[in-house]
Amino acid sequence: MILSSIIQRIVLATVESGGLAQPETEPVISSDVVVATHHWWAGFILYLPLISLILCGLCAAMKVKSKLPAWITTVCLLGSFVLSLLLYFDYGGSPELIPLLSWINLADPGGNFSGLSANFTFYIDSLSLLWIMFVTGLGTLITFYASEYMESDLGKGYTRFFAGVSVFLFAMVALVLADNLLMLYLGWEGVGFASYWLIGYYYQRPAAVAAAKKAFIMNRIGDLGLALAIYLIWTTFGTIQYDELMDVIQSGSWKESYDGWTIDAIPWFLMLAAFGKSAQIPLYVWLPDAMEGPTPVSALIHAATMVTAGIYLVARTYEFFLLSPESLHVVAWVGGVTALLAATIGLAQHDIKRIMAYSTVSQLGYMFLGLGVLSTYGAAYHVFTHAFFKAVLFLTCGAIMHGFAGQLDLRKLSGLIRIPGWRITSIAMLIGCLALAGFPLTSGYFSKDAILAEAFITQGPGFEALGWMAIFTAFLTAYYTFRVWFRVCAGKVEYEPGDEHHGDDDHGHHSEAFHPHAPRFAMNFVMAVIAIGALAASVPYFMDTKADEALAGGWVADMVHDSTAQGGLPGLDRHGQSMGDIVEHGHAGHQGEGDHAHPTLFGMDVHTAMYVISGVVGGLGLLLAAWLHLFRRQDADRLKAFLQRHWWIAWLPRAMEHKWYVDEIYQGLIRAPLWIASHLMYAFDRFLIDGLLVDGIARIPRMVARWFQPLHNGIVQSYAVTMAGGVALIALLMILFLQFWKIGGGG
Amino acid sequence: MIWGWILLLLPIAGGLVVVGSSARAAKSIALLTTLATFGASIAAAIEFDVWGTGDFGLVSSIPWLPEVGINLSIGADSVAMMLVLLTTLLMPLAVLGSWTAVGERLKEYYGWLLLIESAMIGVFLARDLVFFYICFEFTLVPMYFLIAIYGGSGRARACVKFFLYTFTGSLIALVGFLFVAWSYAETTGSWSFQIATLCEYASESLTLREQVWVLTALVIGFAVKIPLFPVHTWLPLAHTEAPTAGSVILAGVLLKLGTYGIFRFVLPMTPEAVVEWAPVLGILAIIGILYAGLICWVQTDVKKLVAYSSVSHLGFCVLGLFALNPMGLQGAVLYMINHGLSTGALFFLVGMMYERYHTRDMNAIGGLAKRMPVWAFFMVFFVLASVGLPGLNGFVSEFLCLIGTFAAGDSGSYPGVMGPWFAAFAALGMVIAAMYLLIMVGKIVFGSLKEPATDDHHGLPADLSAREITVLVPLAVLCVLLGVQPWIAMDAMVGSVNETLAAYPEIVKDAMQQVADAGSSVLSGGVNP
Repeated sequence: MILSSIIQRIVLATVESGGLAQPETEPVISSDVVVATHHWWAGFILYLPLISLILCGLCAAMKVKSKLPAWITTVCLLGSFVLSLLLYFDYGGSPELIPLLSWINLADPGGNFSGLSANFTFYIDSLSLLWIMFVTGLGTLITFYASEYMESDLGKGYTRFFAGVSVFLFAMVALVLADNLLMLYLGWEGVGFASYWLIGYYYQRPAAVAAAKKAFIMNRIGDLGLALAIYLIWTTFGTIQYDELMDVIQSGSWKESYDGWTIDAIPWFLMLAAFGKSAQIPLYVWLPDAMEGPTPVSALIHAATMVTAGIYLVARTYEFFLLSPESLHVVAWVGGVTALLAATIGLAQHDIKRIMAYSTVSQLGYMFLGLGVLSTYGAAYHVFTHAFFKAVLFLTCGAIMHGFAGQLDLRKLSGLIRIPGWRITSIAMLIGCLALAGFPLTSGYFSKDAILAEAFITQGPGFEALGWMAIFTAFLTAYYTFRVWFRVCAGKVEYEPGDEHHGDDDHGHHSEAFHPHAPRFAMNFVMAVIAIGALAASVPYFMDTKADEALAGGWVADMVHDSTAQGGLPGLDRHGQSMGDIVEHGHAGHQGEGDHAHPTLFGMDVHTAMYVISGVVGGLGLLLAAWLHLFRRQDADRLKAFLQRHWWIAWLPRAMEHKWYVDEIYQGLIRAPLWIASHLMYAFDRFLIDGLLVDGIARIPRMVARWFQPLHNGIVQSYAVTMAGGVALIALLMILFLQFWKIGGGG
Repeated sequence: MIWGWILLLLPIAGGLVVVGSSARAAKSIALLTTLATFGASIAAAIEFDVWGTGDFGLVSSIPWLPEVGINLSIGADSVAMMLVLLTTLLMPLAVLGSWTAVGERLKEYYGWLLLIESAMIGVFLARDLVFFYICFEFTLVPMYFLIAIYGGSGRARACVKFFLYTFTGSLIALVGFLFVAWSYAETTGSWSFQIATLCEYASESLTLREQVWVLTALVIGFAVKIPLFPVHTWLPLAHTEAPTAGSVILAGVLLKLGTYGIFRFVLPMTPEAVVEWAPVLGILAIIGILYAGLICWVQTDVKKLVAYSSVSHLGFCVLGLFALNPMGLQGAVLYMINHGLSTGALFFLVGMMYERYHTRDMNAIGGLAKRMPVWAFFMVFFVLASVGLPGLNGFVSEFLCLIGTFAAGDSGSYPGVMGPWFAAFAALGMVIAAMYLLIMVGKIVFGSLKEPATDDHHGLPADLSAREITVLVPLAVLCVLLGVQPWIAMDAMVGSVNETLAAYPEIVKDAMQQVADAGSSVLSGGVNP
């Protein structure tokens, strides 16, 4: 009965929440935000992964041993993807709110504060649409791929895997479509949890458990930043809903209560959150370890979607960064330095999946560089292209790992393209490598150039040096990328199997009769589709849906334009001015230069120059890789021997191979001291607080009692009696004292 | 109203029946009684017509010693009613959870369990100070025997320490109560022990110095119960040695008597003193959060780890109480319920593991997910609820407590005496909680299977039985429900919370004004950087 009444209230509240977007207090809903209740079906983008999770749970309970969970998940995610596309085509051009369910609503009857409300409501604008489409699209494809990849675990962890993928998609959709920071936080922690779940999928392997734990804790440090940012934003602006926040910021009404430090602190905490989730310095160390998870997870979560959540967060809250432009300089530098550092580590690894992991960290660095140099569009476009080409790279790595019994060492694999059945894998990998290396006319080429050029255009502390550094990083990227491809796919056929048996008996490991089993339909199909997507991702660059606004950058720029991240678009002087009004100290961007008065580089317009330079640099890296890893592999060994022989240089490859010892430094500087401190505290707690103080004080009454009369009865009773007696004495004294004191006070 | 008395007397009656019956029937009778009490509390909750307001329902009074103003008067506001519901929900689960774990002196065991249920319900229902205090103290006796008879190997020391420590604390609180009652009698010429009367009198008529003394006495008493750093050392010992049901009751309800005491007495009785001392108590709470959290990190005994985690977690609750704003206080009340659900469940789970392997040493067990997948699922689930994963219950209350603390700066929109620095340090507890709980999970749930030699799991199935799943499912369902639809509880308590806070904005503003006038910072903690 009470249950039914509660259910009734939930239903009522849900129905009401249609009107909850405009609660009684009548908040300022910005003129161009509409409540789109007619898009109620968009809720299923969120619900379908949840339904999939529940069905997977049922499969687990019924001990299903077939591929059913994979099909359920694929179909549900496909549904989400189709709904996302429908939503995109039905999107009217102005941001929409789609209320789903009420969550936390705190109103203050005393009117002392502005109320806190965070409901399950979607905020649909072009930025969230951009993200949701590639998230659900790639999610569907990679789930389909995993249906084959994970088949050796059928009846063991198969269902658990797809349940984890469903949790991930649910949380990611919540993160991207949230209309307030708290729902974003729900998704933010949710994807972290899904990542924990899936990294630790092989839970009997200690390395996997440790990696999962590390990822969750590192992410928690980032989450702490996000939580503090939410508190700050709420206390400063009185709301955590995007539409209201944008209105408040743009109206400038917060300035009345502006007391100087909160505005400057907000972007720093947001940054901490973004750096944790997107694996930037100083919180990047979890991502390479996360490769302990199954490869489809690496492709989906740790390359294409989850790790870009940090970029999404910064883009979504870009106005806060514009209010305190110094923070953007930090974003740019952290991004640039992470890109370089991760690339140098990637140079010296032998595990192809780890190389891809470091290249992910490096590419995420580029995206932050783009955000920092006021190119949200460049960053968003790079997220978009990277999602495809890095997904395909991981999926091909996964195919290799799957076929060669876990072998990932590029020294033990060669000439894959000549082995029958591996052609699609090799070509897909080539496409991914070309795009990652920024080979001219590939998607990565355009998106990277958009960022690089902006580094030379935007004025900031050392941005030009940063630009050159990023170009050097592009050279390294091209080199290490093709090191992988030339070693693994080209050259003469030669391979050694790994030491992992997938449970199938047709190939025992280390036996002479080892035959790699090539990927079959599902994996080949998905690799081919995503590879084509990686090629086609350069098309949007030439698609101008809004030619009248003279925006360079095509479809993605148009998408960013209509969103909260528009402050970082090139050539938008209209908006640049309105931002200038808000930011008192102003920010020296180039939005004000409507006539594109770009600085020049080698006598060319920066954009043109960048096409040339990055093309040349990418080509050089590729050639160097071809020389050392395809045509004259013995030269690579000679170079290595040379480096190791000379003490003045030998430290460099060693440091790079050991990831610059960052893990060890963290271990020594943070974990170990904290560990010792904790042990000291525990000792302090037992011996000082409990032993000396508590037991000591408890002993006093007994000692006192012993003077008067030695007690010979059971220890418990005497202890109790004397203790109670002592306390009663103290109580009596206190009463007397208070009484006298009160009388004294009254007189 | 009759429901309150039924709730109070039903468990006692059941207890008497248990003692008079045979040992074989004891647990069935106990289960029926606790279920009936739960049913009665649901009926009372439906009858309870003051949800969402600040009023009291189920009000009833029987004269006892009217000449000195002592009556058996009961009644509950919505906060108390929710805690009653929590208590009556946990009790049948505790009985079910002890089904196989306790094998000897059954009648006594279930008798004590039922007696403690009455005492706990009495604490929440009491509207008379003397009645409250009797129930408050009386919870100690059954718990003492539960630990002393059915506890682990170190039970002798644990139960004595538990009893004396909390008994001493409550005696000090009694002094505070008596002073207020005596002062009331001095002023008005007649005695009264009505809680509402005394609260109103104390907040209006006591001087600041008197309020500070009363506050000190009460806080010492309740802080031991919560437990707040540095008076927490009885808890790890008692929790570790108590039988599973004892730990669940201890964590689920008995610790909340402390925070409930602060909510019911300290906040309404001594508002001016609270405003002055909240920063100090806040700092103690923060020390507790970080210090106990780090200690959890180096534990090897699972049960002790969960016990220390209670010290850490309840620090958030205390912060929320002294944030003195609706966010913080609602968060704190929610925290009481949520902590009871998730930590109670964790103690059940540890108990289920202990019953099978007879060890709690994290170095001796590992990778149990392989042997007990269902247990592993629930373990991970409740750990996540405890860590504060959004979507589950722990998150909402932790978030509200922290945002309340954060906003309680003097520049905030709601005046208060803590502020961003308090919240920032306390929030570090989120990271530490993830650290120690996930390390625990990583050791005992995941990794390669490692189990001590057992002779057939001591007669239990390898994985959880249907009975054990029945214990955990209601808690899990509530964790999800309160995580996704927390307004069910929040809307219900809003009136009581606002009633309690009604006087505070003015007092805080006055205090701020005084500080500003004096030019020196008494409230140093609340000043923004």
